[in-house]
Amino acid sequence: MLVDEIVDAHVLIIGSGGAGARAAIEASRYGSVALASKTIVGKGGCTTMAEGGFNAVLQDLDSIEVHREDTLSGGAYLNDPALVNVLVHEAPERLRDLVRWGAVFDVTDDREVAQRPFGGQRFPRTCYAGDRTGHEMMMTLLDRLDATDTHLYQEVSVIDLARDENGAVAGAIALDRDGDPILFRADATVLATGGGTQCYDISTNSASGTGDGFAMAYRAGAELIDMEMIQFHPTGAVYPYDARGRLVTEAVRGEGGILLNERRERFMKRYDPDRMELSTRDVVARAIATEVLEGHGTKHGGVYLDVTHLPAERIESRIPVMLEQFLAFGVDIRKEPMEVAPTAHHVMGGLRITPECRTTIPGLFACGEVTGGVHGANRLGGNALADTQVFGKRAGEFAGKSPERSGRVDEAWIEGVFGMLDDFYEGATSPAAVRKDLKLTMWTQAGIFRNSPDLATALTHVRRLADRRLFAASATNLIECCTVRNMCTTASLIVRCALLRPENRGAHVRRDMDVITTNPVKSPFGHTYVSLSREGIEEREVKP
Amino acid sequence: MREITIRVSRYDPAVDVEPHFEEYTVQVNEGARVLHTLHAVHDNHDPTLTYRYCCGSGQCGSCAVRVDGKPVLACMEEAHDGMTVEPLDLPVLKDLMVDIGPVIAKIARICPAPDAALPAREEIEAIKPLRDCIECLCCVSACPALQVTEFAGPTVLRQEMRLVLDPRDSGDRISDAIEKGLFYCTTCKRCVEVCPKEINIPGKAIEKLREIANRRGLTLPRHQEVAKLVQDTGRSVEWTKTTFLEQVPEVIEPDGPVRGEVGFFVGCMFNGRIPQTAFDAMEVMKRNGIRVIIPHDQVCCGSPLIRTGQTSIIDELRRKNIEAFASRGIDTVMTICAGCGATLKNDYETPFAVKDVTEVLTDYGIEPPAKLDVRATYHDPCHLLRGQGISEEPRVFLREAVREFVEMPSQCCGAGGGVRSGVPEEAKALGAKRDAAVKETGADVVVTICPFCEFHIADCTDVPVKNLVTVLLEGYRKKDAEEQSSA
Repeated sequence: MLVDEIVDAHVLIIGSGGAGARAAIEASRYGSVALASKTIVGKGGCTTMAEGGFNAVLQDLDSIEVHREDTLSGGAYLNDPALVNVLVHEAPERLRDLVRWGAVFDVTDDREVAQRPFGGQRFPRTCYAGDRTGHEMMMTLLDRLDATDTHLYQEVSVIDLARDENGAVAGAIALDRDGDPILFRADATVLATGGGTQCYDISTNSASGTGDGFAMAYRAGAELIDMEMIQFHPTGAVYPYDARGRLVTEAVRGEGGILLNERRERFMKRYDPDRMELSTRDVVARAIATEVLEGHGTKHGGVYLDVTHLPAERIESRIPVMLEQFLAFGVDIRKEPMEVAPTAHHVMGGLRITPECRTTIPGLFACGEVTGGVHGANRLGGNALADTQVFGKRAGEFAGKSPERSGRVDEAWIEGVFGMLDDFYEGATSPAAVRKDLKLTMWTQAGIFRNSPDLATALTHVRRLADRRLFAASATNLIECCTVRNMCTTASLIVRCALLRPENRGAHVRRDMDVITTNPVKSPFGHTYVSLSREGIEEREVKP
Repeated sequence: MREITIRVSRYDPAVDVEPHFEEYTVQVNEGARVLHTLHAVHDNHDPTLTYRYCCGSGQCGSCAVRVDGKPVLACMEEAHDGMTVEPLDLPVLKDLMVDIGPVIAKIARICPAPDAALPAREEIEAIKPLRDCIECLCCVSACPALQVTEFAGPTVLRQEMRLVLDPRDSGDRISDAIEKGLFYCTTCKRCVEVCPKEINIPGKAIEKLREIANRRGLTLPRHQEVAKLVQDTGRSVEWTKTTFLEQVPEVIEPDGPVRGEVGFFVGCMFNGRIPQTAFDAMEVMKRNGIRVIIPHDQVCCGSPLIRTGQTSIIDELRRKNIEAFASRGIDTVMTICAGCGATLKNDYETPFAVKDVTEVLTDYGIEPPAKLDVRATYHDPCHLLRGQGISEEPRVFLREAVREFVEMPSQCCGAGGGVRSGVPEEAKALGAKRDAAVKETGADVVVTICPFCEFHIADCTDVPVKNLVTVLLEGYRKKDAEEQSSA
């Protein structure tokens, strides 16, 4: 064996965000758990950055059925109904887990978890901890995780999934901070690697949102669905240049913030007069993008998001992180409007899973943003944090209940991985240059508004980038090369699926001649799918 | 785009004996943060530069580094030409990446009771200010107590208080806090100054934990003696000579026309231990036309008790002091002790304005003194610099009053927070660091505006230590002597 360090565990969890941490907590009830995190646990991933909240039905006036219907309708009925059922039924109990474990959610005078309105929902069901809800959840999950026997491998980056001779996933190979390899062998492996909108030039994601999970699972033979469904969050910062894309939480609009164009017109009335700023994210993002394209944008290329009419005290207590971040860039949001524009935020598509979080290949489970089907063609704000907890718990549970694996890790495969790593030392292209090129390509040619010629050009270019021989200047740069390779793979999956869907649906909008107009409820199209062996779009019978 | 040049600390333990600086000139965008300049170095100059980052928006706490010596989040701090970027003051793994694991491991985890109910709204609201911490460890890097003791660190004690406030927690947090160094904190507030979330750890966690410890009888014996003294005498120090208040009238009229009027809050140290400095202050006031009213019924401000968590008689002290000045219709109260000033400003709600002597003198303007023929440095009292936000005013006067003024890096002397009396070995170690810093400047005299700093630094260095008012007065005397001899 070429690897010095070998770790055996019953369950291997890859990823340390909300889903991975929740999966580890659950899996540890069934046997030994190793958690590999490419960041410091608790600091990586997007959960810790999530600001707005966690959707859960807690009030008698609300109902599970309405949450289900809001989620399906918001998702343009592309969601997998079985997964949505699980989400809405189990979200309340997963929220209660967090509260039991010490989470400091905001509460009402009646000692109930406070809830705020979020876009596309008919009831204020978004639970929150100011505008640092995700951070609160992570802190709580880490407290709980600490009480288990889970072994944390911090700043250990998984670079590929391991297979056994039966074709089942048998663990993974990773590089530590120094670039030294670690082989994890496990009976069950849970992929909880989060999303990948770092493939776009303008993104809300943390540096770890590079789509590694999509790419590794694809290489291992798993099937992914709906990868074209990229959520562009309507409100990202636009200035200064290096802070572009930084998330401005939907809670700003939930608390009463309004959107104005350069003419100070409340333009949402022309796009969704009923729901206005609290329409679904796909609608608001396109409205803002349209205003800017039509020349009604601000000088930095955005629109105004204004809370100056709200009492200062409310801004300070409900959206303190927003206040602090904008102050750091010289804008006091109590006195002047923010400038915002859409930013790549969430990948709705991902690994095809069952309600037990089983992927299409044995031994591999998945949960959180790396999966597809829960959110359909557009995710509701507040459903992602719920998703991490509901499906994190399920992935941990069913992975934990997995039988002992019989096969051995395929050594030829390990040799292949090492061959690839060695090639990086002989490479010629800087990964930073490829990353920059890729991000711009995706933003300009596979962004909010798409068309098939651009998508085709993008695919050709992304494939060309993927073929570049990346150069690692030292062992610690190997991880960066692997990451950029994964970004290229993820980007190609997004573009391939975008070319496969010939309709406008949710977040996916094509403005070319070939596009078919469909009614989401009656669309003949189902999931797009892509794997090493096939790609296509499901078609379904619809009653006229 | 613009071009900036930065110095970055580089260290690879595999090849380097110790860290060294490398200089890079990079192109960055307008408004770029420190992190983006590091990206520019990494992407265009040296891909082996190692640094941590993740969220890029001040929420994960991964990217803390020191810029020009001050801990900051690289993703939020604006980059500037000529800046120096170093790792936090923690064990360095490589370049700017430090080992944060051992500190994180000391941060307590909640132990929820099985039947725990959701906290009430007031309880949640009390916890929230302590919950904003992103564990970036800027506070740990900057804390002076950590340099000389086994103190676990500001944020570690922040978490203990967060857990105390949570009715769901079942742990014994006071014992934990004491074990983690509850009495090591000098309340210098350096941690607040560097905290990206501006969490007031000394005020909202450490003093509160000390208060609970006090109710359990766990206050240090030396601190209890101080509390008894205040209770018995109204004063926190024993007087060794005739007190200032015993020697002065209630009103001191200025030499010339009256340009202004202030009440004078003397403070226990100046009243009983070093009254001469208070007399010097009176001379400076007289000379500059400021009438001083000195209520004789004033008592200790309570600072030594608040800082050590002994708050049971604080309300009584507050009432007496406010009454003493308010009943005489005084609208501005002057302090020459940084500790008293910070306490009156931050822990009192007064019907009058409270001003440090340098603020009063700045407001009215002063007759310029003759320059003393010395090289002087200035020690920032923590309770003046951070407690009252005053740094420039004393320097302006000092530059006027001495031949040469030299800066000295600001750091706590170790006297505050009850540390000089409670943990003397810590105070001594921090004092020794001040001595070294003073020597580094080559100054003939150290000037400050806090009797605790003055007393303590004088104990730790052989360079004379003086209050600013004494320096001003010496300048006036020199001026008078010069005028006399030329006449």
